[in-house]
Amino acid sequence: MVEISFDFKEKLDTTIGGEMHSYCFQCGACVGDCPSARYSKRGFNPRRIVLQTIVGMEEVLLEEGSIIWECTNCYNCYERCPQDVRPVEVITAMKNMAAKRETNPEDVRSMVKTVETKGMTTVLTALVDKRRVDLGLKTLKEIPVSDIQELLTEKER
Amino acid sequence: MSEEKKYVPFFGCMISVKYPQFEAAVRKTMSKVGMTLVDLDGFTCCPDPIYFKSSDKLTWLTIAARNLCIAEEAGLDITTMCSGCTATLSETRYHLAHDEALKKRVNQRLKKIGKEYKGTVSVRHIVTVLRDDIGIDKVVASVVKPLNGLRVAVHYGCHLLKPSKIMQVDDPDRPTILERLLEAIGAEPVQHDANLLCCGKACMEPDMPAQMTFDILTSIKRTDVDCMGLICPTCFDAYDLGQIKISRQFKTKFDIPIIYYFQLLGLAQGLSPEDVGLNMHKIMPEPLLAKVA
Ligand code: SF4
Ligand code: SF4
Repeated sequence: MVEISFDFKEKLDTTIGGEMHSYCFQCGACVGDCPSARYSKRGFNPRRIVLQTIVGMEEVLLEEGSIIWECTNCYNCYERCPQDVRPVEVITAMKNMAAKRETNPEDVRSMVKTVETKGMTTVLTALVDKRRVDLGLKTLKEIPVSDIQELLTEKER
Repeated sequence: MSEEKKYVPFFGCMISVKYPQFEAAVRKTMSKVGMTLVDLDGFTCCPDPIYFKSSDKLTWLTIAARNLCIAEEAGLDITTMCSGCTATLSETRYHLAHDEALKKRVNQRLKKIGKEYKGTVSVRHIVTVLRDDIGIDKVVASVVKPLNGLRVAVHYGCHLLKPSKIMQVDDPDRPTILERLLEAIGAEPVQHDANLLCCGKACMEPDMPAQMTFDILTSIKRTDVDCMGLICPTCFDAYDLGQIKISRQFKTKFDIPIIYYFQLLGLAQGLSPEDVGLNMHKIMPEPLLAKVA
């Protein structure tokens, strides 16, 4: 049985990007140009996902392996929606919620860890400096990772 | 002498670490069109608009705002070379300009490192700066070896154009900016069926992006072009290194060289293939180089 959460609407309303979900009138304009709807084998559909948020299907949407992770972040739905729902932002807001529960994909978590600890998405090696010098570029300066660490939370460290 | 325009370049980590040949191409070509790049210290990852944004949007906005602060302190506008950095910094700028409460929350955190975001500098992808500030005529004037007859499949990628309300670059359904820049260097932009299809890289289900990449490469292959031209290192990743994986997976050979616009501009300005690091690509552009030599 699908579990319905009656306060999911409120939670989305207070999560950045989720605020507009209840303005959806189910027109389906977001579906036609959605590449994930075209390529999904599981029936990914931004209109249905927004409907599920309105109904309160929190557990289905936030569980591990949720279909929301099939979104490509292409922003076509953002362009098309006449109600300014921004389905991709609603999806991203739910991804933020999933991150809090740690039901988001492992790959996402490890990429975020890299940014938090190294200040970038890729790792510096000696080869990078050599390549840069070969191209006539300066070697890279140290990244102020301590600033990033400081900004991760509201709390004083 | 005409007035030189100054910008702070934000190369981001993908370009400066993974694809420094793009940085070299930008630096070597921009000096010839009258754009002065003023390097500033202290930038971090933008941070990335897919993984980081999907984990904690408030922290994403805060770290991005910190990067914007660095340019604000110098009083200079930012120009970006990666669609991902463009998305993060432009979206941050937009949201903080339209949501006073959000800006306050971000500034509360920034205070911990002694910074305050005010919203005084703009963020523009470098192709937009070329079109709007420098002028395409300056690009034309910098060409010494026009790439006549070179057929280039245009690939826009998603985040340069969308959300169009925020990015303010071009009509996302009928963009022309890259076509105009290619024509400026004598090349022929070529449309193909999957022109505006997403590379799919952000999708966490592996088969879907593979199929999308395969469809785009197949669509390009049908048009008989010399290369794919693009402006984003993430798209480059999907089609250069990615092309090898996709060729193996789908047992199809494509041999489509993938080239960053500023590398093509460099060739047209008389730079050597090594100057712009074309020798660092996985799909080697030899037939193309023979054609433009
Ligand atoms: S951003 Fe996601 S939901 Fe929206 S159109 Fe693209 S793939 Fe579909
Ligand atoms: S386009 Fe907007 S209003 Fe229409 S179904 Fe999609 S989210 Fe709802």
